[in-house]
Amino acid sequence: MKLIIVSELVGTPGDQYVPAEGINVEALLEGGFIKQEKPTKEKSED
Amino acid sequence: MATSTYLTNPVVTVNSVALTGFCTSATMNRVQESIDTTSFGQSSREYSSGLANNECTMTLFMTYAASEVYATLKALVGTRTTVTLKPTSAATSATNPVLTLTGAYLETLPVLTGAVGEMSQIDITFTGGVYTEVIV
Repeated sequence: MKLIIVSELVGTPGDQYVPAEGINVEALLEGGFIKQEKPTKEKSED
Repeated sequence: MATSTYLTNPVVTVNSVALTGFCTSATMNRVQESIDTTSFGQSSREYSSGLANNECTMTLFMTYAASEVYATLKALVGTRTTVTLKPTSAATSATNPVLTLTGAYLETLPVLTGAVGEMSQIDITFTGGVYTEVIV
């Protein structure tokens, strides 16, 4: 699942967030600094 | 006379959140515990290097607004994270290194403190962790 920056205190909002070593990603999600981007379902071709 | 200035505009991050604009004081101590290896026959104490026991303390203006200080710290209590300090906001280099504690533990978070007529400030301490210096 892709992590997206929400707060400018973490980076540029909208950019992908790639956590460095030791970063507590759960805390960033809980604080609203980043969000998880759910993968979009691809439409099946019938 | 000082020949250079530093920490006049430091960059402070906690768990990759830039808290520079809320921070009024920051100190990172690199500590290497000493082990007494003095034996009989010696006339003075002798020490060897033990475990590293680094720490980083900082004073922050407390805010409860969304995605600010409290939101940064509340989920970190009792966990390990990464804390960085950089002397100035200039580009990272050998003379402006990013000082990093990886795996530093936050034991205590003062959730509310203050006095009449004062801005609320908190002091927090991150202990332990691996110290590194990044220069590029």
